[in-house]
Amino acid sequence: MLGSMHLSLLGLGCLLATLVSYGLSKRLYRRFGHWWLSPMVLTPGFLLALVVVFAIPLPTYFEYNHYLSMLLAPATIAFALPIYRERHLIRRYPLTLTLGVLTGLLAGLISSWLLTRVIYLPPELSHSLLVRSVSTPFAMEATREFGGVPDLTAVLVLMTGVLGMLLCGPVFRLAKISSPLAKGAALGASAHGVGAAKAAEYGREEGVVASLTMIFTGIAMVVGAPLFAYLLV
Amino acid sequence: MATYLPPLRNLLQLLLQVGLLSLLALAAQWLVTRLSLPLPSGVIGLAALLALLALNWLPERFVARGAAWLLGELLLFFIPPVVASMHYAPLLEQYGVSLLCTLVLGSVSVLLITGFVIDRVFKYERRIRQAGAVKTVSV
Repeated sequence: MLGSMHLSLLGLGCLLATLVSYGLSKRLYRRFGHWWLSPMVLTPGFLLALVVVFAIPLPTYFEYNHYLSMLLAPATIAFALPIYRERHLIRRYPLTLTLGVLTGLLAGLISSWLLTRVIYLPPELSHSLLVRSVSTPFAMEATREFGGVPDLTAVLVLMTGVLGMLLCGPVFRLAKISSPLAKGAALGASAHGVGAAKAAEYGREEGVVASLTMIFTGIAMVVGAPLFAYLLV
Repeated sequence: MATYLPPLRNLLQLLLQVGLLSLLALAAQWLVTRLSLPLPSGVIGLAALLALLALNWLPERFVARGAAWLLGELLLFFIPPVVASMHYAPLLEQYGVSLLCTLVLGSVSVLLITGFVIDRVFKYERRIRQAGAVKTVSV
């Protein structure tokens, strides 16, 4: 009895640690802007250190934290709102959006697939890699079709976001990609929500194109997953 | 005292809206298992919400705050699975270099290919739109 109570207090502490470190890191990143302060890097880093240093068993960490992951389901549905709100923009740039989604989706799948032909990775990793460029709720849903591992997929999606944030500037400069909408679409297709946030810095329309590209790429990935898995795995 | 009311009302509204979206997610899940639909419940729920909004059956303001919060804090919801990947720490360590190479090369290709294609397509689509606009003005 005492043991279980002690455990749930620790579990509650773990939930609190997740929330506080997330909120704090968000504030620090907004204030100082270093990429390693972003909640994508600092929060998981801090929590992993916490779990390792205090030897907290993962089931204890998850006792309450799994309620947070449950919110991924309503978050997926919430993507309907930006689509509805930006329906006029969808009507204005149908070709840009459709081709952005198709190109981004195929480039992501085929590049990952080709690279894992050349660079050896064990199947858990190579299968989880395929969906990494789409937004997490979609990626974690689609990865099962490819034989990927949802937890590993979450890490790879996160790393892809960080890389997109770091790589986009140099890549656009070197390749002379100048039109802001192309930057937006490329960011939305390659680095999901992170890319969309970055694109919003270029301007409102760019940000919206990036988020729409991101959302539709995610939906297309989930819907097409059985077909892509049949072709690639 | 009155100054504390608006934030409290906002919080309540947020909770109710997130609750409503969660109910919709549960309903979509139930429907998918009940009818054994081939589409995942997330996509069904998204389409259903979009339809409700488009048909004006559900006013946007009933879900706007909740949806904005869920999408704004998306990262928070997948921090736990990232921590769970600790199970795979040896694997990630052993293949760290190969993995990083794959991720970097993959991200660069997606950025390059998509950026390049859309750069061309967007300029083309804008030219067509402007040509169309000029035509309607001259008529």
